[in-house]
Amino acid sequence: MGGTSSKLSKDLLSEYQELTFLTKQEILMAHKIFSELQDKENGPYGARVSMEKVLTLPELKSNPFRKRICQVFSTSDLKDGSLSFEDFLDLLSAFSDSATLEIKSHYAFRIFDFDDDGTLDARDLEKLVNSLTGETDDTRLTGEEMKQLIGNILEESDIDKDGTVNLSEFQHVISRSPDFVSSFKIVL
Amino acid sequence: MRRMSVFPQHGTALGNLGLTANEIRQETENNTSELVSDLVNLSAGARFEAIRSLHVPFNEKKTIRNRVNSVKLSKTILAADCRQQVSRSFRRFRASLASAMQHLVIWQDTLKEIGGRFGTSVLSYFLFLKWLLQFNLFSLIINFCFITIPQIVHAPNISSITGFRGLELLTGVGYFNKTVLFYGGYNGEVIVSKPAYNMQLAYFFTIAAYLVLCGVSLIYSTSRSFQKNFALETGPVSGGAWRLLCSWDFSVVNEKAIQYNKNNLAIQLKESLSERLQEKNKMSRSDRIKHLSLHLLAWLLSLGLALGSCAGIYFLGTNRELAFSFSHDPSDLGAEASTLLLPVVVSLFNLIVPLLYSLISKIESYSNPRAKIYISIVRTVILKMSILGILCFYWLSFVPTNISCWESFVGQSVYRLLIIDFIFCLLGIFFGEFLRNVIGTMCIQSLGVPEFDIARNVLDLIYGQTLAWIGIYFSPLLPVMQVLKLFIIFYLKKISLSMNCQPPKHTGRAAQIQTVFIALLFFPSFVGALSMVAFTVWSLKPSDQCGPFQGLNTPFHTIFNWTHSLPETHWVRWIFENILRSELFYYLISLIVLVITYFLWQITRGRKELIKTLREQIVNEGKDKAFLLNKLQNLQKERREMASYRPQDFDQTPHFNPNWMNTLPMDM
Repeated sequence: MGGTSSKLSKDLLSEYQELTFLTKQEILMAHKIFSELQDKENGPYGARVSMEKVLTLPELKSNPFRKRICQVFSTSDLKDGSLSFEDFLDLLSAFSDSATLEIKSHYAFRIFDFDDDGTLDARDLEKLVNSLTGETDDTRLTGEEMKQLIGNILEESDIDKDGTVNLSEFQHVISRSPDFVSSFKIVL
Repeated sequence: MRRMSVFPQHGTALGNLGLTANEIRQETENNTSELVSDLVNLSAGARFEAIRSLHVPFNEKKTIRNRVNSVKLSKTILAADCRQQVSRSFRRFRASLASAMQHLVIWQDTLKEIGGRFGTSVLSYFLFLKWLLQFNLFSLIINFCFITIPQIVHAPNISSITGFRGLELLTGVGYFNKTVLFYGGYNGEVIVSKPAYNMQLAYFFTIAAYLVLCGVSLIYSTSRSFQKNFALETGPVSGGAWRLLCSWDFSVVNEKAIQYNKNNLAIQLKESLSERLQEKNKMSRSDRIKHLSLHLLAWLLSLGLALGSCAGIYFLGTNRELAFSFSHDPSDLGAEASTLLLPVVVSLFNLIVPLLYSLISKIESYSNPRAKIYISIVRTVILKMSILGILCFYWLSFVPTNISCWESFVGQSVYRLLIIDFIFCLLGIFFGEFLRNVIGTMCIQSLGVPEFDIARNVLDLIYGQTLAWIGIYFSPLLPVMQVLKLFIIFYLKKISLSMNCQPPKHTGRAAQIQTVFIALLFFPSFVGALSMVAFTVWSLKPSDQCGPFQGLNTPFHTIFNWTHSLPETHWVRWIFENILRSELFYYLISLIVLVITYFLWQITRGRKELIKTLREQIVNEGKDKAFLLNKLQNLQKERREMASYRPQDFDQTPHFNPNWMNTLPMDM
């Protein structure tokens, strides 16, 4: 199979439907968009799309976590954030409407874990807050405020008092924020 | 089902324990085998869901699924394979049905666009509008099918006293008077057809069934929303920092909107930080008294304004309406137009008084901005419900004794109220949003672009829907108006939103405010409308000259007549006489419900205690874990150092020298 106008076979389509949370339309749309991204690379079908190309998508272009999202969902051995079509489907599936809270909170945890060590420590939380607040000086939090905020966050969610938020604590605090499921969504 | 464990990635969890690559691979293999054996034991549907919800990349999911399938294949016989085929095809059918239904969903693209630019809290307004539209469409369809079509087909009696003039669209009298739009256009005879169709029973049961279904659906939505958004409020400190961070809206794609959201979030974080600091400062006694008296004053003013507007409506508006219907002169256009005075007065009060309320609330100081929003919602609801209350009082106590065919009169009143409310809504979009935007950007720069006020708009929708529910008994085709109105408002609001407004600043707790709105739709709105209709049906004498219930004492007597016409031993008659009409039944039901409520309350209390104990247990286990990890790391360090010293084969493990002080140089 070469060329960019290749269509998905029925078997592949049903397999994708079975193993992800996406509907048939969403999978076909994703295939179309992914093929267009590959178009510019002139690579064979099944090849990976580099992170820069993926980040040109309008849904990811301005997202503050775009690089982390690509890195989390990428299964490439080079750890360069490039995505294959299956990785792309995984991404859309985790951000889709019908994904379970557990999947969303798991991937959210990995996206927020900037240093990839399995827990959210104070440095991760600081980077998280900085990504979500503005870059200009008057909206950035001062050092004092940041320390206080991180102290509040840890007080609220660190149940075993080890100074970091691990996956279970994160999922626990997420389950008490009902806005999370509806905001952790990217739709093509 | 056992929770699927986190698969170690390069450098995460397990990697930190300092295990070698081989050990990691071994651990992964063990995890996978356990996972596969767990999955094999599940039923097909559950297994399908479980594999889908694994948080591993796609190819690993595929390998796991293939392993599970091969294990299953080696275990099962052909008959089970057939069952699997059937369940798989059933699943595919359900998926294709769901995707086909998606095509029927209207406005899907528009809603996604709104969500992308303005966020989920503004989107919730439009979703609420869509939900109300569904209620009204449903009512329209069943009313049309069960009441209107039989009436039109079998007994057309449209005898218009006057021809159609334009004013009818606004006032609802004249040409529309005896049509099927209002109660008066129906008569209650039994239509002679193959199964005899009793129009009285049809009218009664259609409206009753619709209201019951509405009630059930509202109770279900309220309780589900409450459970999702409120019930888990307990916890150490619901400080809100996490909630703010987790409410970051990933579906917003517009770059300016994202920048705006970032600024907002920074402001909200700073506000919540300063709130926490302030909480620690206690207010002095005189300050507290001052605040309390200001609150009291504001409440008194608000209630006074509400009472004043009710009195104004009662005295100003009602005379003109009655005067017109007494005059019976269809060509008196002036008097007919003056019946519009009442709806205009009502809409004016509904528009101006909430603005006064927001001015009043500026003199008060609140401990947090959420309390401000809730209190303003409560005051506005009190205002709107008292206006509706005074209108209902006027309709139910004064009108039936003085006007012939009074149900049509009430229906026409409600119709006028709805139309004028719609016109004021259009005017509000034009003046409130468009002109304010122009003024804010061009003339007075400090005002800025107007914010989309979700609370006010949703309360307007609730008010309109209450009117529609009240009017359904008196005017079965009123939902037509409501459906058209909601349709047009959706598109106009969307256009106005894109052109004129910016998203609201305080977007936290959107889900809780959603629950409050759904609960408001149920409690004062639907319950009020239902009690008014129930009162009419139960105790008021229907008019003698028109309508399906002519000649009866109360509309409820149709049921009596019908059950009495059935033979003595018929089961419907037996249920009606001995169960629904006996008080003992209701006492028993109330008693059982109270007992069950008490049990559930006790269970909830027990569970809260359990949660507290479990939290303490987690803290203790965390300390244990830290201690054990430390010990493990020390042991491994010693083991490695021993292994590296082995070739030389003498013990040089560093151990603590108690005489370390003696090893320091003398001249330190």
